[in-house]
Parts: sequence; structure tokens; C-alpha cells
Amino acid sequence: MGKQLRIDSVLRPEVLIIGAGGAGLRCAAEICERRPGTRIIAVTKVYSPQKSHTSTAQGGMAAVDPKDPVDRVIYHMFDTWKGSDCSADQNIIKKVCETGWEQVVWLERHGMHFSRTEAGRIAKRPFGGHMLNFGEVKAFRACYEADRTGKGIMDTVWAESLRHGVVFLGQSVATELLFSHGRCVGAIVFVVPSGKFVAILAQATVMATGGKTRMYQVSTNCRQNTGDGLALILQAGLPVMDLEAVQFHPTGIVGPGILASEALRGEGGVLLNKDGERFMERYAPTAKDLAPRDLVSRCIMTEIREGRGCIHPDHNMPHVWLDLRHLPKYVHRTKIQEVTSFFRKFVGVDPETELCPVVPTAHYQMGGAPTNEFGEVQKSPEEIVPGLFACGEFAAASLHGHNRLGTNSLLELITMGKVVGERVVSYLADAEVPGDVPEEAGQHVFSQFSNCLERKGHQRYARIRDRLRVLMMEKVGVFRSEKPLTEAIDELRELKRMASRMELSSKSLVMNQELLQFWELDHLLDISMVIAQSALARKESRGAHYREDYPERKPEFDFHTLAYMTEFGKVDFAKRPIDMSIYKARGKNYKKFGMIERKY
Amino acid sequence: MSQEYELTLKISRYDPDTDRSWVQDYHLKAGRILRFVDLFRKINDEQDPTLAWSSSCEHGQCGTCGMKINGKPVLTCELLVENAVQMFKTQTFKVEPLTVAPVIRDLVIDLEKAYERIHIVKPYIIEFAPPHPEGDEYRIPPRVLEAYVEATRCINCFCCATACISTQKNYLGPNAMLADIVRLMDPREVANEERLKILYSGQGIQRCRTSQACTFVCPKQIDVAHFIALGKEGKFGKVNGV
Repeated sequence: MGKQLRIDSVLRPEVLIIGAGGAGLRCAAEICERRPGTRIIAVTKVYSPQKSHTSTAQGGMAAVDPKDPVDRVIYHMFDTWKGSDCSADQNIIKKVCETGWEQVVWLERHGMHFSRTEAGRIAKRPFGGHMLNFGEVKAFRACYEADRTGKGIMDTVWAESLRHGVVFLGQSVATELLFSHGRCVGAIVFVVPSGKFVAILAQATVMATGGKTRMYQVSTNCRQNTGDGLALILQAGLPVMDLEAVQFHPTGIVGPGILASEALRGEGGVLLNKDGERFMERYAPTAKDLAPRDLVSRCIMTEIREGRGCIHPDHNMPHVWLDLRHLPKYVHRTKIQEVTSFFRKFVGVDPETELCPVVPTAHYQMGGAPTNEFGEVQKSPEEIVPGLFACGEFAAASLHGHNRLGTNSLLELITMGKVVGERVVSYLADAEVPGDVPEEAGQHVFSQFSNCLERKGHQRYARIRDRLRVLMMEKVGVFRSEKPLTEAIDELRELKRMASRMELSSKSLVMNQELLQFWELDHLLDISMVIAQSALARKESRGAHYREDYPERKPEFDFHTLAYMTEFGKVDFAKRPIDMSIYKARGKNYKKFGMIERKY
Repeated sequence: MSQEYELTLKISRYDPDTDRSWVQDYHLKAGRILRFVDLFRKINDEQDPTLAWSSSCEHGQCGTCGMKINGKPVLTCELLVENAVQMFKTQTFKVEPLTVAPVIRDLVIDLEKAYERIHIVKPYIIEFAPPHPEGDEYRIPPRVLEAYVEATRCINCFCCATACISTQKNYLGPNAMLADIVRLMDPREVANEERLKILYSGQGIQRCRTSQACTFVCPKQIDVAHFIALGKEGKFGKVNGV
């Protein structure tokens, strides 16, 4: 049909930020504070930065207050290391935990509305996996804004970016990274409402496109989290890291999978099976309901598999109960008001008097684009891509290894967002201004879009999407083993073939959501393929990656998975060593940072 | 299985390619706890992939999916079929985009344009109060925070601005004024004079006609009118020379 696709205009900021959520805009604010007047364009797929998925984070942000009489940064570092199942990087753990409090104060001093103690200080609550004295008793470490901490952060960094004159490009997607002599010089951006392609050339490009779990049937992620950023990385021939590590949050609201924060258990909520038994006491006698997420998710799925779950009459889905009935009324009304309203709104349950139906839901990617401790994107463990930076959930530095503790993600956004901001400023000092738009620019995205526009056939988008989502949930979900993973890989190949035979109803480029969905589906399939193959290759269990056929962690897998895929289904693997600098420094308590056993 | 409803959605459509507007009827069956966003997805999947509509988080936290259902601005991710049938006593629903910004296609509006009103009120702290002597966070006792914490829950979904009976033109609207008021009540903000000037400007609070429609429709149950009333009563102080 030969629709002429072309680059309509060229923009030349100094910094391009792809993904204007919590991490991207914390980075923007840092750049502007250190280097006032820096010209920044921030591209977001949603309608305004304030709508970013960061806004939906609920429970809190872990940080050790130096004035705390009992808590210590070393305990937080230990919890993060242990929680990661010994596959986080200790240089990152150290950097993030040590600067956490300073970043909490930064947010407060820029207007975030934290909940307060009687003395007017920032209030703190306990959260899963965060403990005192190397795992002895729960710690009050999570700073929070009621049950809308993410919104507080998002509003603050968005407002700061506004103050500094950051230019936002809404409802727009980066479709191709641009390189010149191995250096990243920007991206081609498709502006959905106008249907135009813009080349944005910048000295530095920061990717912070967030998570990607929309390929799972039950997921907390928003409609836009379809793995576009990671797909761009793969297309550029760069690796992604630890994609097998997908976090399932134990308490999604049955049906749509909406997140019911761990704060509910932090405030005293307990999980019950159909017999009313507090089953977590059986699996984790010390941490109980506040054990880390991977563990609680597996316990819930085990209860369901062994016939101790219930079936929800409307959604026809198995679940267990979360009991909040015994919590004081003021807790319901002031501390968990937002989250409990979800049960009322979406499943018609009153948490003050009734049990709430919950089930594990795909929530977070521990892996992502591999970066060094400054957020510079890596080509290999030894080499970075000049001009390309990454932070937030999109990046894997890695703070979380194969399992993330609750409240450590918001902490990562603000600390690593700042780190990347600092790095970008020093990079700008002698970075060359990109020359003309590279000659081959657009070839990739135009062939991808023409392909979408010209496809013929009778396959239906919805059918492929639904099959993908069930497939990933059942075969690449909480429990994994060789046979289902192999079947999943074959089925993904079939789905990819089917996807090449979908036909668009309208060929308009202007605000064409169907066209966008075709483009997204390719990414969902690409990323699913890498998740499944990475999960198959890791023949051990570690954190959220649980192999029933290899239920133990194994020393021969003490590394990060690097995966490259330039042709669908053909995944090449490499290894990145785990940084153990705390252990190697042989300081006090160094033994706690060895390859320790993980028991709660 | 629970009850199924036979619904008719009369959806406002607009095609920017031909500049044509029309209303299109869609008939569909739906279970009792499907949400309106699920209905739009169902229409895309089963009947018409070209229908454009906006949403993001789909659990009432981002404020992207606001639309008018039978004239009432709501977040369509929160509206269950069963509740809609009860509320409007019908199984036929008129679905229109919010009126705060131009339509891009069908139910998608140019929300960035609507956000320009929020930019005017500067949602950040313009000038920060002197830091606490101990150097860490500013101290705010819970009772001080309580006075305005409800207003900080606003997600800028623009439902209130759509429901407001005052003119849309050159008027900040309830949510933008609320953002200004939050900072007026925030003890960390020092630039109250500048904030009052915005509030009492020609496009500010004097345009409010006290219909309280904002409070009535707010999906977050924020008593927006209460905060605006505080402004009208002069509770935040006076601008010099006015």
C-alpha cells in the first residue's frame, strides 16, 4: 500500500529522557539542579507524566534514618542481599542503602506530603523482609505517604521538572535508538496523536521506561507497560539481564490483578486459607505474613494447588483470603484507605467486616537493561555504550538480584535516578553535539511500521494477546519446569507467526490505537521469548525464579543472565559476575554477605 | 455464573482524518462486575478495533480514563456495569469525552492541553521555608497535615472541571485551584503572596459559582468545594493592596 513514512522534524535537546516516570524525572530534576538551563525533552507513553505507573505504588520507600535508635544501614544492606537470594550487586546495594535517607529528605524538602509521627517527623512502617539485627525482628524502615507513596514521589519529581522547564512529549513512544560511531545520539519518537515521526538528537539519552508485565494474565502493570524499552535495547543488539526474575506480588485483587499493598500486612493483615488457617506460620515461622514476596507467592500457590484455596464466583478464579477485619478503624480510615477502597470498588467487599480475595499477580521485573553503578548501559560486562543511560525498574544495576524487597523499588528510583542525573551532567561537560541525523535512521522503525500497516490475514489481535497472557501465567509463572517452558517457547513461535497475519482495520497514522497495539504485541512476544528462554537456561531456583525440577539454589549459577536476541527465538547468553565487594572488603560482618542460606 | 446484562453504549466518535463526528451504537452482553474500560476493550476485541479510548492504570489512581457517562463525569475504570445500571436505572449509556480539552479521536482528549491550567498554579513549592535546625526533614505535626491532606489526593482526572457549571474558558477550574490551595496550606511554602495572586486572579476563585458539582463528582471523594470555600472566606490571607 506504500504509505510514505518519513521523519517529519528534528529536535535537538541536550538530554533526551525516554520514560517520564519517577526515575526519569528524578534524573531530570538532578540534571537541572546541577546544571541549570539544561535543555531536556522527556518523552512519555502516557498522557501526562503525572499519569505514570510510579503513581500507583502504594506502601513506602525503605531508608534508614541516621537518627533511628535501633536501625542501621548495614541491616538494610543485609536484608536486600538476602532478599535477592544472593544475586544483587553489593556495590549497588551499598550505594543505594547509604544514600536512601538523603533522598527521602530531598523529596520532603521538595514538597512531598509524607505521613508524620506525633513529633512531625516522617513516619515509618514495617515491610516484608526488612528486619533488625540481621533478620531478627521486623524493622520500621519504610517511609510513606499513606498508601499512595508512589503518587507522592511522582507528583514531586514531575513538579520539580516543571519548575526547571523540562519539555514533555506526551502519548509518544521511542521506536528506534540512534547511534553514531558506537555512541547513542538519541532516538526516533512516534507521536501517537499526530502520527508523526520525530528524530530527537541529544548528547545523552536516558531510558527509564519502567516495567513490562502486561504479558501475564494477572498483572498489576498499567496498559502501557508492554516492554517497548527492552525491545528497543534488543533491537540495537544490546543485552538484557535477568529477565527470568519476574516478581509475583502475593496479594493482587482477584480478577483484574490490582495491587493490594504489602502495607496491609505491614499494618497487621494476615493471610488465611479456606479453612481459616494462618498458613504463613507453617512456611515462615519468624517472618510469617511479612516474609518476602517470592516466598509468600509460592506459599499461596501451594495452598491453592493442594486444595486449600477458594474459587471466586464472578471471576471463576482460585484465591486465598486477606483478613483485615481486626485492624482498628483509624487504620482502615487513614493509613490504608486507598487500597481498601479497591476491594469495595472492584469486588464489592468491605474489608472492615469481610475477608478480601487475593491471588499472586505479576508485578515487577528485577532484571532489565544492564548498567554499571553509574547507570551507564552495558554492551557487555566490560564495555558501556557511550551516551546511553538507564535507571528505575527498566534498568538492572542490580539492586534486586532475583527477588526484590517491598519498598526497595521506590528507593531505587530516587537514588539511582539521582546517580544517573549526576553522571549525565559530568558526561555533558565534554560530550559532542550530535551531527546530522544518521543516514540509516528510521530504516528499522519504518520497516516495522510498514509491516504493521501492510499485513494481511484473518488472525485476531485479541486472541493472540489472550493466549499469550494465559500461556505466560501457566508455564512461565510462579512455578516453572523444563517441559512447560519448552512448550511455552514453541507456542511463542506459533503466536509470533499468527501475529504476522493480523490486518489493521484502519491505516491512519493519527491516534491509531490498533496500530500501536500491533507494534506493542511484537514487543510482548519478543520479551516473553527472552523470559522463557532465560528461565529454561537457569537450571536452579533463585528468588522469584523457581524451578520445580531444580528446587535448590546452585553455586554454578552464581551470575547474572545476559541475553541477546536480534532474531526472534534465537537467544544468545552470556554471564555477568555478581559484585561481592562488601564480602571481599572483609569488614565487620562481612560473612553475612557471602552466599548465605535464605531462611525466614 | 452471575447475572449478565444486555447493554447499549451510544459512543461519541470523531475521526480527525475526515473531521467527521457522529454517535455510534454498540450492543453487547456483559457480566455484573465488568468495568466500563473492560467494555471498551470488549468492543475493540469483538466489534470495532478502531474505537479509541484512553486509560492507563485502570484502578482509579492515574485519572486518565475520565469520561461522561449519561452526562456524569466518572473514571470509567471504576464504574462497574452493575453499579452503572443501578445508578442510572437504565442499560443504555451515552459515552462522551470530557469537555476540558479538544478531542483527538473518539474518546481521547488532549489531556496535555488541559494540564496547562495546572502548570499555571505551579504545583511545586515556590519558595521553601527555612530548614529545620537539625538539618533533616521539616517538621509537620499530623494535625496540621490533616487540614489539607485530603486535597493532596487529587489525581487531576478533570472530572470536577468538566462538571463545574462555571465557564471553561480562561478559568483555572476546581482541580488547578485545589493544587494552589494545597501549597497555601502547606507550612513549607513561603511564597503565599504569589499563590494568593493566582487564586484571586481573573481566572481564579471569583469564577466559582458555588454549585459544589466538583465535590459531587470527585472520584476520590475529596470535598473540593470545602477547600474553595476556605479561599472565598479569605482563610489563606489577603493579597497586599487588594
